Amino acid sequence: MKIVAVTACPTGIAHTYMAAEQLEKTARKLGHSIKVETQGAMGIENKLTESEINGAAVAIMAVDIAIEEPERFDHIRKIKVPVQAAMKNPEAIFAQI
Amino acid sequence: MPLDFSFSCPLPNGVHARPASALEEVARTFTADVVLLNQRTGRSANAKSILSIVGADIRFSDPCLLKVSGLDEERAIAALGAFIRNTLPRQETELPTFAALVGELQLPRCLENSGATFRRGTAVVPGIAQGLIVRAGGFNVPDGLPMDGVADTPAEQRRMSDALDELIAWYGRRASAAGKGIENEVLVAHRSLARDEEFRACLLDAIASRQRTAAGAIADAEARFTKVFSGSENVLLRERVLDIQDVCAQLLQRVYGNETATRSLTLTEDSIVVADSLTPCQFLFLDCRFLKGLVLAQAGTTSHTVILARSFGVPTLVGVQNIEGLADKAEAVLDADLGVLVTHPTATVRRYYTMERQRLDRRQAVLRNFGGKAATTRDGHAIEIAANIATFEEADRAFTAGAEGIGLFRTEMLFLDRASAPDEAEQHEIYHRVIEAADGRAVIIRTMDVGGDKALSYLNLPAENNPFLGYRAVRIYPKFESLFRTQVRALVRASAHGPLRIMIPMVSTLEEIRWAKKIIAEEQARCAAESKAFDKKMQIGTMIEVPSAAFALEEFCREVDFFSIGSNDLLQYFMAVDRADSRIAPLYNPLQPAFLRLLKQIVDAAWANKKWIGLCGEMGGQKRYLPLLAGLGLDEISVSAPAIAGLKAELSRLDLGDCRQLFAAALNCATADEVSALLSKFSAQHSLPLLAPEMVVINADAATKEEAIKRGVDLLYIHGRTEQPRALEEAIWKREANYSTGFGHGFAIPHCKSSAINANSIVILKFAEPVPWNSLDDKPVRVVILMVIRESDSATEHMKIISALARQVTHESFRDSIEQEQNPERLCALLKSKIGC
Repeated sequence: MKIVAVTACPTGIAHTYMAAEQLEKTARKLGHSIKVETQGAMGIENKLTESEINGAAVAIMAVDIAIEEPERFDHIRKIKVPVQAAMKNPEAIFAQI
Repeated sequence: MPLDFSFSCPLPNGVHARPASALEEVARTFTADVVLLNQRTGRSANAKSILSIVGADIRFSDPCLLKVSGLDEERAIAALGAFIRNTLPRQETELPTFAALVGELQLPRCLENSGATFRRGTAVVPGIAQGLIVRAGGFNVPDGLPMDGVADTPAEQRRMSDALDELIAWYGRRASAAGKGIENEVLVAHRSLARDEEFRACLLDAIASRQRTAAGAIADAEARFTKVFSGSENVLLRERVLDIQDVCAQLLQRVYGNETATRSLTLTEDSIVVADSLTPCQFLFLDCRFLKGLVLAQAGTTSHTVILARSFGVPTLVGVQNIEGLADKAEAVLDADLGVLVTHPTATVRRYYTMERQRLDRRQAVLRNFGGKAATTRDGHAIEIAANIATFEEADRAFTAGAEGIGLFRTEMLFLDRASAPDEAEQHEIYHRVIEAADGRAVIIRTMDVGGDKALSYLNLPAENNPFLGYRAVRIYPKFESLFRTQVRALVRASAHGPLRIMIPMVSTLEEIRWAKKIIAEEQARCAAESKAFDKKMQIGTMIEVPSAAFALEEFCREVDFFSIGSNDLLQYFMAVDRADSRIAPLYNPLQPAFLRLLKQIVDAAWANKKWIGLCGEMGGQKRYLPLLAGLGLDEISVSAPAIAGLKAELSRLDLGDCRQLFAAALNCATADEVSALLSKFSAQHSLPLLAPEMVVINADAATKEEAIKRGVDLLYIHGRTEQPRALEEAIWKREANYSTGFGHGFAIPHCKSSAINANSIVILKFAEPVPWNSLDDKPVRVVILMVIRESDSATEHMKIISALARQVTHESFRDSIEQEQNPERLCALLKSKIGC
């Protein structure tokens, strides 16, 4: 399955990137393809394009703060979880897909 | 025919003990009666009695009349008039101000819920002390001493009089033994009270007219003068109550012997002395070896006791409430940094203060390490780091901080805020003391930079529209030649004591130098004629702060031995910008390429003529500019004392070749922004590394998460990466409040962005005993990776490394390799290979 995701934590120093890594690791393990955009202290990295978003089945939003350019995800099914959930039990998020 | 003299009180704090004592000193040298009348209150005073003068309650601008009658009245009125006009206005005492105790006390996280008792107070001397509570203080007549019913009154009066004379002599001996300083001043002040005419009259009268015993008479005098002082609206006078009590207690002891010294204390172990109030002598009698802290309920911030405590560096809190409940010999911690007395300390409190002591001691050790080293670049080139001072007291502190010399002693402070200029003896004494403190290191003393914005009332200079471009420094010397000669003479004589170099400020033409040199040569010749010792080879230099000097340097080099660039004024004159005007402040930027080219021209000219050149402006104190200044080729940089150790540390990381290249590149920039960008790039490449072996602790120790975070922050403080550990700790806790940074597997990654950190940093603490952290998996942590980033940094190299690290710790293999590595250097190398830090 094609999945996109966004991670963003309050300080943007650590958990944004840890959560991204966790989601990527777990997707690989479960046989999904995933691209994770991080919105942290360095701004938006690995930015999702319109076609990537449109081509995905679902968007995992592991965010604790309001993200930049949220309208890009208006037309796609979203699973919104706290960043902590992606840290603690990422497989439970994928179970919701 | 009595003579009189009218004046209005010039002292903002009124005539308190010190001015009263100065007036008494003058009045008592004449036989004539001297009466001081306060026309506002109608009270008149005997000017030969401090207590009487003080009792007249003279406040600022009160109209006063001084009346003199007697044989030598004409000489007396002339001397007293001169004293009131010239000396009295200088008897002012600055009232130190302390922040009021408002709001809730914010305890550090480690002390919250610690179970100890905290009493707040106003910290008047900082520091942390641990010891046992010892109660002390006050004046009282011991029980059992008769107070009334003297039969032989003349004998009792003699006994009293003899004891008083003995006490006055004792104060004199102790004062001489104490040498100069606050202890001497206190003893001299007490001697003046003891020999006060009113005091003696009051004591003798009580015996004669009311048949009081000596003890009764002393108790009455104590009560009477305590009332005079404590009733005053003047805080400085109220605080003299302790001095009265002190003199009375000493007198009692002189009459009755040592058995009355009931409250004198013998300290036998580390002690925190607690008293309602403590007299200065009671303080001086305490054994310094064991006196670790002082807690006073009553004393104000300007009492002699507090001033003594400050000079002895004894941590002190005043205004502490409910001290009655404190048990003698109870264990306590006095934390004057936090402003609390901690009693009933628990294990948590003890651990906290052990950590605090380690934090402060290790920081001192690191600073001493850099402060004590010669200032050199990484590749071994020396650039002297000296200190700027304005008073002789700062000299000792500067050398303790690691100064390699005094690069600028601004002497104008000696001339400001007084009624007349200091004489040669006063100046010589001060210069001598600085040279003594320097102990062979060079001292550059700048002759007075007065006039302009630094007005002196006794010069009567009119106000100017443009004081910075006006009549000041070397420009006023010819008109006030005797003032300048006096200073030069004091300097020439001081040159006999060590390597003194004299520096002339605000020089813009060759004629000014030649004139100043002529005066110096004449005063040297006078000293030689009078067989007074001086250094014939004393170096003479000038400040370079007027742009014209930069373009006449070849000629200047033929006249003087050295230069020091005053970058503040030089930049302001060169850019034609008033740095106080916020609208044009951005122009006041030392990174302007044109300014850097000016500096280059100055330094090149000095070097070509083999003249020593330093810099003593604010630019020198900023670490950020150091690579440029090193590249410029200065012999010396002179800064305020607190900046010295940091600059030495920074310099030790720089390579002179790199700095020269940087400076050359900066000269080719078109704008200040380009130079700034160049400097930022250089700093990023050469600043403190994100992670270093000293930021790794293998066998860390913490009982709680609070302690673990404190340990990490303390390490950053110890190594100079933060100056605000409390603020940084709070920023970390603020992040922790979102959700725990313990992400499981025995790892936690507390972090924050904060303006309280100077250099982006990673700290790794590996704990011998796991620490509870309320982690996501509810397990304690064995490894803490603390990450702190400067508020202003975002898309930097450092941030990339931090994010890579965050990603890596989610991998078990990475965590395992960190857990297994027990050597800080190898752990750093491991992280470098994996994530590039």
